Amino acid sequence: MKAKKIIKKTLGIAALAYAGLFCVFYFDLDGKLLYYVVEPFMKNHFDNMERRDPHTVPYEQLDTEYMQ
Amino acid sequence: MKKPDLSKLKDLDVKKAARDFWYGKPHGERRLGDLYIPKTGLYKHREWRGFKDTMYYFNNIWLYNYGMIVRDIMVYGGGPKGLVQFLKGTWRYRWMGQTYLTVMHWFDRCLEGMRGETLAASAWHFRGIVSACLYQITGFFNRDLNIGGDPALRAKTIGTDETVWGGVIYPYMDQGGYYLPTQMIPYFVTCHCNNHTVLNYIDAVQAYGLPGDPCPMCQAEAGIYIEDDVPDSYVAMVTTNEACDSSVGTSVIQDWMMNKPLFAMPQVMQFDDDSVLENCAKEIEMAWRFMEEQTGLEFHWEELKKHIELQNKQNQFEREKWDVAANTHSYPINGVAQALYRIFYSQYGERPFWHDVDAKVRKIMEKCVNEDINTFPMTRHRVIAWSCAPLYYSAWCTWAYNCWGLNTIINMDSLMFDLDIRTDTYENCLMDIAKYHEWAPMRRMAVGGLQHIFELWENMEKFNCDMVMMYDQLQCKGMQGVVGLFEDEFRARNIHAIWMPHALPDKRTVPRSQIRQIINDYMFTVMGEEPLDPSLLDFDDIDSW
Repeated sequence: MKAKKIIKKTLGIAALAYAGLFCVFYFDLDGKLLYYVVEPFMKNHFDNMERRDPHTVPYEQLDTEYMQ
Repeated sequence: MKKPDLSKLKDLDVKKAARDFWYGKPHGERRLGDLYIPKTGLYKHREWRGFKDTMYYFNNIWLYNYGMIVRDIMVYGGGPKGLVQFLKGTWRYRWMGQTYLTVMHWFDRCLEGMRGETLAASAWHFRGIVSACLYQITGFFNRDLNIGGDPALRAKTIGTDETVWGGVIYPYMDQGGYYLPTQMIPYFVTCHCNNHTVLNYIDAVQAYGLPGDPCPMCQAEAGIYIEDDVPDSYVAMVTTNEACDSSVGTSVIQDWMMNKPLFAMPQVMQFDDDSVLENCAKEIEMAWRFMEEQTGLEFHWEELKKHIELQNKQNQFEREKWDVAANTHSYPINGVAQALYRIFYSQYGERPFWHDVDAKVRKIMEKCVNEDINTFPMTRHRVIAWSCAPLYYSAWCTWAYNCWGLNTIINMDSLMFDLDIRTDTYENCLMDIAKYHEWAPMRRMAVGGLQHIFELWENMEKFNCDMVMMYDQLQCKGMQGVVGLFEDEFRARNIHAIWMPHALPDKRTVPRSQIRQIINDYMFTVMGEEPLDPSLLDFDDIDSW
């Protein structure tokens, strides 16, 4: 009896999760989340990231015998 | 509170509504353009393709690919540690963290309006591409010293220009030799998946003081270095002059800013002269010696042979696909899936995931042929696309089919690498490898000499096409030089050709809406035709991915 209840409950939760995922898919909620929230947040992060100044790299060649 | 308008319900044809629910609306009634949220390219809701195809898209494409992305990161990344490296890389590099998360929308754009076997086969191609991307992304991050990657893995890894064919690493793969095309993932694929981020790199180059008129592809590739957005995942670099002088300019910037041993492997442009083939072969052998010196790996002929033979199998299947595309109406792969998959695997080289995809696509294609399924039933014109395509709008073929019935059968880039490499002797193999290099992207036809860019005419006939979509990369000096010659030929041969101007990765020069307008104008005024789906004629997607 208890096992039956657990199976029923599990199947119910799975069905709800599946229906929820279908709603995310159908109404393009993943796209909207990425477009309006995630991308602006990441853009802001990358715009303010500290970066190495490329001029600090010496302008010289590391020669190998193949470059003679 | 506003009362709901129930008058529409009164006129509802219940039978038709039930049929549309189960089978999806017929092509002429879909109004796909009404699904977009203005400017963003997002959907109010995703397309209802009928019950079967919608559930296929939801289960076998959307859910499946989200799941497989996680699986690929774990498998290619080597378990939980790979996942941690992936997250660190996502946080560190703009081309990853701001770009690839939107991958399922790339599927959406390219697969709009597709049904049945066409939907399935085209989606499998994208699955292959995504898997190949993740193989490289985890390859980058697992080795990247900037984010605590493994120096031992890095020590066996060679970075290359993306136009250096991935086969250069074949002889070393059994010893852990790893090939990383340094621009393919940080630049090339980003433009297709989410073209917002590439603009950052183009602007970085111009803000730095370099001119804005060379090829924007080369600008973007250099911009990644100027922005310090390059993983430190490889011990040395092999570059090439492919496809043009602008690319060589990029290599100069890269050489300076990455500060690693570099081998420049020049490939000739006018490759018809056999005497130059020997020089190319020597360059490739020198590149191998360089790689051995830098990594300590040894040249294994049997390993090279094994991968070449597997690659030849892929190429032979491609020819079977072309045969079906050219001579039947049962080819189940749409224009964008065909183009991107072919160029990706031909350039990146043989790997197991391509064979998995090919096996699945073969099954679908054989079903289509055996059951004589018309895979693109609304085809009005069979189109061949020629020259280099707009990366920010590779999905134009999907739009053109849905809106006008223009079915893109084949494109120039797909035809470039049509070569089975001999493996009977080392010498023959080397000569064919040299030729394969010479036939690299934007090279064999685009700058390989007039007779090669004019291979258009024979391929048009071979693939039974009646229309040309002629790409016009506005910043490619090479292709700009032959515009007049093409116009003369189109007139003389009485061929319908639409010129599609674009600036490769940069959507600001010719926006996607302008590309659509040019096609619309030609179809209305020259062809005198009416659209299949008028809602797709004009919509604003300026800020979309």
